[in-house]
Amino acid sequence: MAFDYSNYLRMEKMPTLWCWGCGDGVILKAVIRAIDKMGWKQDDVCVVSGIGCSGRFSSYVDFNTVHTTHGRTVAYATGIKLANPEKHVICVAGDGDALAIGGNHTIHGCRRNIDLNMIIINNFIYGLTNSQTSPTTPRGMWTVSQKAGNIDPTFNACNLAMGAGASFVGRETVIDPKKLERLLVKGFSHKGFSFMEVLSNCHINLGRKNKMASAMENLDWIDSITMGKMKFEKLEEKEKLNFLPTGILKEDDEVKEYCEMYKEIQDVHQGKRAKITQNDFDKKI
Amino acid sequence: MPLLKAPLDTPVWIDLTRCKACDICVSVCPAGVLSMRQEPASILGAIIDIINPESCIGCTDCELHCPDFAIHVADKKEDHFRFAKLTQKAEDRAKAIKQNNYRLPLNYDQ
Amino acid sequence: MNTREMISTGNELAALAAIDAGCKFFGGYPLTPSSEIMHSLSDMLPKVGGVAIQMEDEIASVCSVIGAAMSGKRAMTATSGPGLSLKAENLGLAQMAEVPIVCIDVMRGGPSTGLPTRVAQGDVSQAKHPSHGDYKSITICAGSLAECYTQTARAFNLADRFMQPVFVLLDETLGHMHGRAIIPTAEETGSQIKTRKQFDGKPEEYFPYGVAQDEPAILNTMFQGYRYHFTGLHHDKHGFPTEDMNTCKLLIERLFNKVEAHEDELEAYEEYMLKDADIMIIAYGSVSLAVKEAIRDLRKEDIKVGLFRPITLWPAPALKIKEYTDKIPKVLCVELNMGQYFHEIQRVSSRLDIDGLFKVNGRPISPHEIVDKVKEL
Repeated sequence: MAFDYSNYLRMEKMPTLWCWGCGDGVILKAVIRAIDKMGWKQDDVCVVSGIGCSGRFSSYVDFNTVHTTHGRTVAYATGIKLANPEKHVICVAGDGDALAIGGNHTIHGCRRNIDLNMIIINNFIYGLTNSQTSPTTPRGMWTVSQKAGNIDPTFNACNLAMGAGASFVGRETVIDPKKLERLLVKGFSHKGFSFMEVLSNCHINLGRKNKMASAMENLDWIDSITMGKMKFEKLEEKEKLNFLPTGILKEDDEVKEYCEMYKEIQDVHQGKRAKITQNDFDKKI
Repeated sequence: MPLLKAPLDTPVWIDLTRCKACDICVSVCPAGVLSMRQEPASILGAIIDIINPESCIGCTDCELHCPDFAIHVADKKEDHFRFAKLTQKAEDRAKAIKQNNYRLPLNYDQ
Repeated sequence: MNTREMISTGNELAALAAIDAGCKFFGGYPLTPSSEIMHSLSDMLPKVGGVAIQMEDEIASVCSVIGAAMSGKRAMTATSGPGLSLKAENLGLAQMAEVPIVCIDVMRGGPSTGLPTRVAQGDVSQAKHPSHGDYKSITICAGSLAECYTQTARAFNLADRFMQPVFVLLDETLGHMHGRAIIPTAEETGSQIKTRKQFDGKPEEYFPYGVAQDEPAILNTMFQGYRYHFTGLHHDKHGFPTEDMNTCKLLIERLFNKVEAHEDELEAYEEYMLKDADIMIIAYGSVSLAVKEAIRDLRKEDIKVGLFRPITLWPAPALKIKEYTDKIPKVLCVELNMGQYFHEIQRVSSRLDIDGLFKVNGRPISPHEIVDKVKEL
């Protein structure tokens, strides 16, 4: 006996349109396994995706699925979640979708700490539209919109999320799907905005002109730029510039979740409690 | 956890309609169970082949790394397959396969 | 019909209408002169168990509203010209995926930042076509305080009936005007609620977009056992993306047909003193209030003038307008823009001699300006 994914997949859509070896498929698998571990009913789950290769994620899974406009995953998901606070909403977006055009919404989703599960599939490029620079493409790499070499500095997505106030921030890669699955389970279990960055390989777009044209070479490169967070902490500041720490980088269960706070607002207006004041919060500013 | 029944008395089996010949499962198998083989009708002219199922140690790395749901591994706890222990011979074979562009070298001495 | 008297502003009446019509979600962003709708709903919605949220920008607000509507709730947003421009892309997704939402636009001076606190009617063309591609807009316009309430309530039913966004145009004058309005009671409005169609058969036999060519999609509430896919891409009967030539053609045609085949359900207009008129004024929104007073003044001087006031602006009540333009010699369009509906009147009537009185300096048109213009004709 082996795990039967077909319950969770829209079988008539298989095989996926992703390239051979694309990390998106590995992440899809890990997400299915994580949802299964959580014991969530399929009818209670909504998957919202953006535009890009990662955007096609939502059409492959058998949940309530939404394929939105570029960058607006968190905004749509906020509406769905607030209108249905007991249900489970997962956002899937790429690095361009979530950090470029959707940057503002990602930041505010983190700030609000609304109980969404945001998975950012970071393949360091705009894949679907053929190799344009994304906010995470390393400088000096060849992209189709910067053929002389990329000069755009990069974001550290997890640092951005932590700065914006997300209460759960983690990073894993497709190199270790078991660790990825564990991170997803922890993120799904967390009540609050769970920001999970997953580094993935795009050997067809990023890799081909940057000396890593096969899935394995691209995965080796990702391996070479990541490091477990314990080991990462021991590095010199200068060395830290070239690595991305993996693992759970932040986990704060004390921060109030937005839908729960909104219930308080409803109680105020229904006369069940007094108005909310600054005394309700530890953080006064 | 929904479960899939193994088709034959084998711990690892594949769905040939789904394999895209990305080589990843072959690259992660520690025991030389898998190899790519020539297949003119498929994408990239190759497809996955289970060449030594008896060497399978049940690590499930191939299944977890396959992006296309093309390969399945029986669950260690659920089934009665006798998964093998990792032998030097299996490791050597895996290494040879990886070095030969993920294909078992012709005339490889088993 | 059971009515009540209220003394309130247009914005507050619109907010009240949303509550009475069963709206359970509002997503907004502060934008003069529509902000009061958000302020009112942020108190009224949580009281009835709904949610009102101020999002981080105009785009996020319409996205959250579309998301809530996708999940099955009646949802609304309110904005003005600049906000409508920002929301355009996602309004297009709501059209394509056939998601029912109400979008109130309290029009102000434009273009761009324009005149934030002054009146205009410059978003009429935009409401007809805010987003790229081909689709048919439904736009209604309130012409009095009471209509700020009744048309907003009507918009929810229209949105659910036709499964697409419905624009309710107010303007700064009506939005901020404080006065007396006779409106239906909450129970009356509640009894008129007609929610969207639902499919109640077996999930395997459910095809959300597999409907007749003159019908809107049937989109079941989320989380109830019917799992399907929403997308802005061209899609098949399941909702899955497709590029099939025939499916794409039929989809676009159906987006038009579902409205065009049932325009009788959408048509709404007012005929004021038109029976014996030699001069017809066409106006809508707060301008119509000044026009009516001008007509009363002109009639005292025996000038036979009447008003045709479209309430549903898009689709335009073409046949009715043509009926009048075919027989009334003089037609005057009065608008607070450079002739956005005037062009539609020209098209519908096939007449090139339509007159226009256009005012674009942010001030309302007063009755005497209209009287002077009519006398000039």
